[in-house]
Amino acid sequence: MKQYLGPLNKENPVLVQTLGVCSALAVTAQLKPAVVMALSVTAVCAVANLVISLIRNTIPPRIRIIVQLLVVSTLVIMVDQILQAYVYEVSKMLSVFVGLIITNCIIMGRLEAFALLHKPLPSFVDGVMNGVGYGLVLVVVAFFRELLGSGTLWGHPVVPQSWYAAGYLNNGLMILPPMALILVGGLIWIVNSRKGSICLPKC
Amino acid sequence: MKTFSNRYIFLYITVLVMVIAVLLTAVSMGLKPRREANQKVEKAQQILRAAGYENVGKEAALRMFDSVAVRNDIGGRECYDIRCADGTDGLVVFVEGKGLWGPIWGYVVLADDRATVKGVVFAHKSETPGLGDRITSPEFIRSFVGKRILDKDGNFVSVSVIPKGRGGEIPEDNRVDAISGATLTSKGVNAMLRDQLAITTETEKR
Repeated sequence: MKQYLGPLNKENPVLVQTLGVCSALAVTAQLKPAVVMALSVTAVCAVANLVISLIRNTIPPRIRIIVQLLVVSTLVIMVDQILQAYVYEVSKMLSVFVGLIITNCIIMGRLEAFALLHKPLPSFVDGVMNGVGYGLVLVVVAFFRELLGSGTLWGHPVVPQSWYAAGYLNNGLMILPPMALILVGGLIWIVNSRKGSICLPKC
Repeated sequence: MKTFSNRYIFLYITVLVMVIAVLLTAVSMGLKPRREANQKVEKAQQILRAAGYENVGKEAALRMFDSVAVRNDIGGRECYDIRCADGTDGLVVFVEGKGLWGPIWGYVVLADDRATVKGVVFAHKSETPGLGDRITSPEFIRSFVGKRILDKDGNFVSVSVIPKGRGGEIPEDNRVDAISGATLTSKGVNAMLRDQLAITTETEKR
């Protein structure tokens, strides 16, 4: 059980392994796209892990990366089509970043490191947990960026009008990509400075 | 590690690709009616919003659109005669152009004088969430209302999208503020309006 909880804590894909940072920066200006992105990545990661694990003994090692890519891109295209058909508005908010899930290193990383070597069920759970670990970071970063950058949460204004009247300003830097990098950096600092979760000596 | 013959590898990848192709085709075909219905409704909603009809629901949009708008292309460009929410007649002009990452498009509703902007909507395929995609935001869209695409002498000048404070000599009437953090998308909107509204007005005069 413990190994499956790793992605939420000591082996967080974004904060400790620094994978998937690109999309973590790109879709976190607002909370809503960040949550849908987290769900999409979790779904793709889990199902891709499951599929690769099911066919792991038939995959010729020499072309395993190609096979993994094929499976991942198939799933991503399906997710994109389903989003367009059933939650059209949200799919428009995510735009290019759904397609870019294909290149998210977390997914390929888990396929290589876990699904190729383990049975289907553990692989599926591993995919879910890594997706959730990734999603948690996205949500935390998006929460602060939307709150401080736009004064809204989930699109609803939360900073009272009286504050603006008193001279409060939204921090425009928050909605620009560099600030996402700084926030993710700050999170990495916090996570890695906690006792017992330092990864550096091991690596 | 198990070894596989070349023949196995070729066969394996061929079968895999074929399975995937069939799967994707099935998903795409199966969901196509839903996707197209979504797009049609969205288009009707966008045009209605530009014409001043607020908050038209998904179900009502198509019926309402048919009752107020009639297609009437000008110079090969998609246009509609529309009865606006305030009771006046307007002309809807479809414009399309390039954003930062992909296509952007929109509908501009001109008043009866064919010069004053009554409303606009913009849409995009793949602009950056939180930055370029704010061309669809209410603030940006509202800033176009009441602007004019003709100058004082009646020549076409379009509505320029210019960074705040850099408007220079362009009269207040003929420009709106660009979106900070989305310079290239704003430029795309600027070029789209300049290039495509011109075609319409020129053809109109002839």
